[in-house]
Amino acid sequence: MRYALQRIGQLLVVFVVVTFAVLVAMRLGAGGHRELARRMLGGNVTDQQVDEAVRRYHLDSNYLVQYLYWLKGFVTFDLGYSSANSMSVAKLLAPRFWTTALLGIYAIAVGLLLAVPAAVIQAHRRDSWIDRLGNVASFIGFGVPAIVLGIFLQLAFSLHWHLFPAIGDSIYPWQQFGAHVRNFLLPTLTLAIPQAAIYTRLLRADMVATLQRDFVVLASAKGMPTRRILWRHALRNSLLSIVTSVGTSLGGLLGGAVVVETLFDLDGIGSQMVISVLSRDLFTVQACVAFVVFIVVVVNLVVDLSYSLIDPRVRMARALA
Amino acid sequence: MTVLRRLRRAGGWFAATWLVALVGLAVTAPWLPFVRAADEKVRVGGKLQSRYRLGPGRHALFGVDNSGFDIFARCIHYARNSLLVGVSATVIGLLVGGALGVAAGYFRGWVDRIVSVVIDCILSIPALVLAIVLVSRLDDIRQELPGLGWVTRRWQVVAALSLLAVAPLARIVRAQTLALREREFVLAARSLGATSRRVIATEILPNLVPTMVTVASTGLGLLIAAEGTLAFLGVGLGESWGYLIEANRRRLDKAWWATVFPCLMLFVTVMAFNLLGDRLSRRFDVREVIT
Repeated sequence: MRYALQRIGQLLVVFVVVTFAVLVAMRLGAGGHRELARRMLGGNVTDQQVDEAVRRYHLDSNYLVQYLYWLKGFVTFDLGYSSANSMSVAKLLAPRFWTTALLGIYAIAVGLLLAVPAAVIQAHRRDSWIDRLGNVASFIGFGVPAIVLGIFLQLAFSLHWHLFPAIGDSIYPWQQFGAHVRNFLLPTLTLAIPQAAIYTRLLRADMVATLQRDFVVLASAKGMPTRRILWRHALRNSLLSIVTSVGTSLGGLLGGAVVVETLFDLDGIGSQMVISVLSRDLFTVQACVAFVVFIVVVVNLVVDLSYSLIDPRVRMARALA
Repeated sequence: MTVLRRLRRAGGWFAATWLVALVGLAVTAPWLPFVRAADEKVRVGGKLQSRYRLGPGRHALFGVDNSGFDIFARCIHYARNSLLVGVSATVIGLLVGGALGVAAGYFRGWVDRIVSVVIDCILSIPALVLAIVLVSRLDDIRQELPGLGWVTRRWQVVAALSLLAVAPLARIVRAQTLALREREFVLAARSLGATSRRVIATEILPNLVPTMVTVASTGLGLLIAAEGTLAFLGVGLGESWGYLIEANRRRLDKAWWATVFPCLMLFVTVMAFNLLGDRLSRRFDVREVIT
């Protein structure tokens, strides 16, 4: 419990420092608060509107006060006004959130589906040709840039075999399930392959170590089927490394989502962020970054706290500390 | 085992050859007879070959693009930007990240606490998101503040990418320094009366070099990929492989060469740096690699 509070405190500090830095960075350099308000509203605005924006977002006070008001807005989903889209940022981002969230969840799921069997088989048949093949594959999967992978998948699947639309519109699973799968398959694969490579590497190393432990030797001496040893006992003892890798690779996944959403024309948080950066839409960019950081922080917290649920030893060690 | 070792050695040689050839071509491109200028249009028999008319072949090795530019020539010329940006960012990352990491790991206390919080903060923002926002903000700030006229887009990209390189390097160096400072040889040096500066310079830093070189090599690949990605998204350099990919990818069905060859250049270069990093990590027995 004490550990949990400590971690929550640390991550809260990270979140506050980052969002504050983002706010300062976004608002720095405009000469005076009226000019800043004009820029945040965008386009032609009357003096009256400028005055109102200054009052509403407290632009005439210092950054700390502005930040506290922004934080209050963030907590209550009042994220400001998107000048480029003439609507509130919350309204703009709400549907886009689902696209990115689904994409991320699919990518992690598919990544795990690819990685877990590969890692278990590789660890079991260590140094065999299948292990080497897996190592080469995860080496390439780890290194390939998302743009290149996405283009190659487009080339192979949608142009050569005419299987999927190269350019997808985001359709949600509760609307048309078939179209949803067709649209999300290639983006998901593009994101999932690098993830799978990272998971495989870590899980394989952990499994190799686990398979050398005494209880595995005992189990096989007892005559327990290999399959049961591998998938039950060894895998369960290596779960921590998967959970860790999902947490640590989340940043890369969200960065990849920016590329993939742009490449496959999906309307997500990532592609919206690029558009907003290019059109100097300050509120939207700030909200997107804060949102992404929030997700990274929360997921890492969940990962940290789930250690003690998964592994009783961690729980004991922390209770004693 | 021998097969694997031979394969790995072949990979290392391939990586080294590719990188040497690429650097050589990129540097000497303006004087090479078989490389057109980046803005020279391809003509066959006096006729302009625009609108992807020419595929890969005798007249243009990688084909032409919509305006009739030679894709091969552009790939070679633009390699300069990728390599220059990647190497500059890595050097800055090594210097700044190394200094921060050593300071945090060696002196501990409040230095360590501040550096650790800063690293945690930087790493909590997805690298690409950080780079996008940074480059675009530097665009505005450059225009608003006087005296920054010399800052070009290229240096903005370098600045953004070096920030990405600093955080992981500082974290790894800090962890290594924490372990090294407890070792006997450091204790020995200190009990002989060596100052902190001397201990760092003669005992700690030489032991950090293998890790830093290894991490920097893999990191260089990642940074070049990031440079291409920034250009692809429209926030990076216009003269970049990533920009070529973005400009031509909508015509993938009509002219695959205009997209595929820049993709391959980016892919092989990134993989070459990764292979190099892999070789080095085996050579120096470095376990920690950036994920």
